[in-house]
Amino acid sequence: MMKTVSTPISRRLVLGAGITAAGLALSGCGGGSTTAAGGGGNVELNFVYWGDSNRAKMTDAALRIFEEKNPGIKVKTEYQDSGPYADKLATRFAGGNPPDVLNMANRSLLEYAQRGTLADLKTLKELDLAKVPDTVLSRGEVDGKLYGLATGVTTIGMVVNKAITDQAGVTIPDDKTWSWEDYAKFATEVTQKTGGKVYGAGYDVSTETGPIMLARQRGEDFYTKDYKLGVSEETIREWFQYSVDLRNAGGFPPAGFFEQIGGSAAQSYLAKGTIASQIIPINNYKAFNEAAGGNVVLLRIPGETSGERRGYSADPSMLWSIAAKSKHPKEAAKLLNFLINDVDGAAETLTQRGVPVNPEVAQSITPKLGKDDKKFVDLMAEIQKDELAPAYVYPKGASVVADTLKQLATEVEFGRVTPADAAKTFLEKSNAAINK
Amino acid sequence: MSVLTKQTRGAATLAVPGGKPRRARLKRKNQRSGYLFLLPWFIGMLFTIIPFFASLYLAFTDYNLFTEPNFVGLANFQAMFEDPRLLQSLKVTFIYTFVSVPISLAAALLIALVLNRGLQALPIYRSVYYLPSLLGGSVAIVMLWRYIFGNDGIVNGFLGLLGIQGPAWVTDPQFALSTLIVLNVWTFGSPMVIFLAGLRQVPAMYYEAASIDGASRWRQFRSITLPLISPIIFFNLIMQLIGSFQTFTQGYVMSGGTGGPADSTLFYNLYLYQKGFTEFEMGYASAMAWLLLMIIAIFTAINFIASKFWVFYDN
Repeated sequence: MMKTVSTPISRRLVLGAGITAAGLALSGCGGGSTTAAGGGGNVELNFVYWGDSNRAKMTDAALRIFEEKNPGIKVKTEYQDSGPYADKLATRFAGGNPPDVLNMANRSLLEYAQRGTLADLKTLKELDLAKVPDTVLSRGEVDGKLYGLATGVTTIGMVVNKAITDQAGVTIPDDKTWSWEDYAKFATEVTQKTGGKVYGAGYDVSTETGPIMLARQRGEDFYTKDYKLGVSEETIREWFQYSVDLRNAGGFPPAGFFEQIGGSAAQSYLAKGTIASQIIPINNYKAFNEAAGGNVVLLRIPGETSGERRGYSADPSMLWSIAAKSKHPKEAAKLLNFLINDVDGAAETLTQRGVPVNPEVAQSITPKLGKDDKKFVDLMAEIQKDELAPAYVYPKGASVVADTLKQLATEVEFGRVTPADAAKTFLEKSNAAINK
Repeated sequence: MSVLTKQTRGAATLAVPGGKPRRARLKRKNQRSGYLFLLPWFIGMLFTIIPFFASLYLAFTDYNLFTEPNFVGLANFQAMFEDPRLLQSLKVTFIYTFVSVPISLAAALLIALVLNRGLQALPIYRSVYYLPSLLGGSVAIVMLWRYIFGNDGIVNGFLGLLGIQGPAWVTDPQFALSTLIVLNVWTFGSPMVIFLAGLRQVPAMYYEAASIDGASRWRQFRSITLPLISPIIFFNLIMQLIGSFQTFTQGYVMSGGTGGPADSTLFYNLYLYQKGFTEFEMGYASAMAWLLLMIIAIFTAINFIASKFWVFYDN
């Protein structure tokens, strides 16, 4: 009998397939963005930002006005969530194909600016900075050059779902004078009186804005003027310890409860009604109030009068930048000037990216604001009435600091490290990452 | 392949005694169609070969995406030995590979054996088991996995019915990786289909002869099936090994790109991506890619050496 039995795969074939599969990984996954030429205008600007569809709708309405006022310039926009946005931005700069006008996060500004990828906004004649306050400009200045311009000002605040606290019969303390202890007591009481159905507190321990504020209340600067880490180990320990104590007391949900904190207002636990309070960037107040049923109150962060000094600062929600390699710097500057100084444009975007930095523009949109946005603007104005401690540009490596905080917050959450050890590790890793 | 050539050779000899021209023509024709089938791969290769060598060069530079790369010698490779997150990512990837690959291969072979016994609705079953392989690496399925294993998901719902308080599968650093291992095992479909094809190649006459000799089913499996499909097992092992060393999507989607909770799902490729695109250390990331290639090459080589002792080539 003829020997024909054989499996159809030889040793050599296995080797070949293996090499091919392994080799593909080295070349990475390709793909990029292509810019389709738009009809109509002579110049097409590429304008990118992060946000949701609601923000996109408002932005598009404003851009249409810009195009009307500037015939010959067409604006092509792209937007994503902040995470993928940051990744895509990096690849576009690396590929030598950066957008003209773009959103820049506070924590990434220095990273980009010190590598010469951003244009000095002061050199652009078309951009009028006369009305922008110096305190705002300072947050985008690096070595005397202006690389980022605040899209608007905001800060963080506490939102409490009053429908829940009313039903539970818990009174919300006066937020002008409440301490962190008051907040803990309040949160624990909510959990108790709802029979554990709702947790009183549900703020995000792993975002740096919280410790930044706590540091200032304790007389420290989280990031210093000379781009260093200024926060003490003790402050970070305290920040972690506070959440551990609050969890043990019942005011804060158990470990593993938060599966996707930091998402949109509609997906938040406040909207789901499983927590009663949360810390948010207060320009998002309207979205949270609407998502959680319309009975949400906007409060100040605890500890503002019980600490060494005020913790608040008026911060850029995000920044606008122009790429150094933009082929149309003139037109890009015109667009940025429109975003900052144009009253008609601002009438469409309102406080979507914080309170406008040009006070005249801010004034002009006030009558157009809805009830919730008005509350945000009023609180922002009230906070700024007192003298606030200065805040500075985030150092290079700030995104690693943010990641480190997130990682350690989880370790603390599940009791894998003590707050004291986590604080020690945080300082070590952060100092190693900054200005590397 | 050897089956084909042997048979054609036999056929040609029978039809045209001493017919060399015809055989040569056939060979040329076969070669042409062979190259034609290779063409798409070859075109694709043109696009990967440049980045391939670029990454080799970049591995020895301090390239940061924005400024011109400077040559730094072996500094990137030296830095790797002192990088605790790199070690963590290796640990995660090794655990993932060495736990999920054997389990998914065993599951694939088991289901293939069952399906090979001639079920009535075989195509349907085959598709049902194969489907997860097509979907497993996709973003949507990983999202779905998050919900299934979420705090309010069906897994914990089911455990709740049994009176068990399920853990936080996705957010607890102790469990997050095992959730992904389960996902990987679930996608055993593609090795299963290859096993099935292999099982079909085993001639029935061997089994007939064995049953006449009184061999039990287990004995038949041990002495006939396993040796004859051992090259297929070997092929699947290598492909699965390489695939899981390169896992990225699952870790990225499950943790939102962080490798969290607490770096427990920080796959090697995910860390490589973070280094390259969020920390802008593309030189280091390229060096990492080459280290991964070396690791895969070593494991594949070990397997090839070991295969001499258990893989049976019947030709």
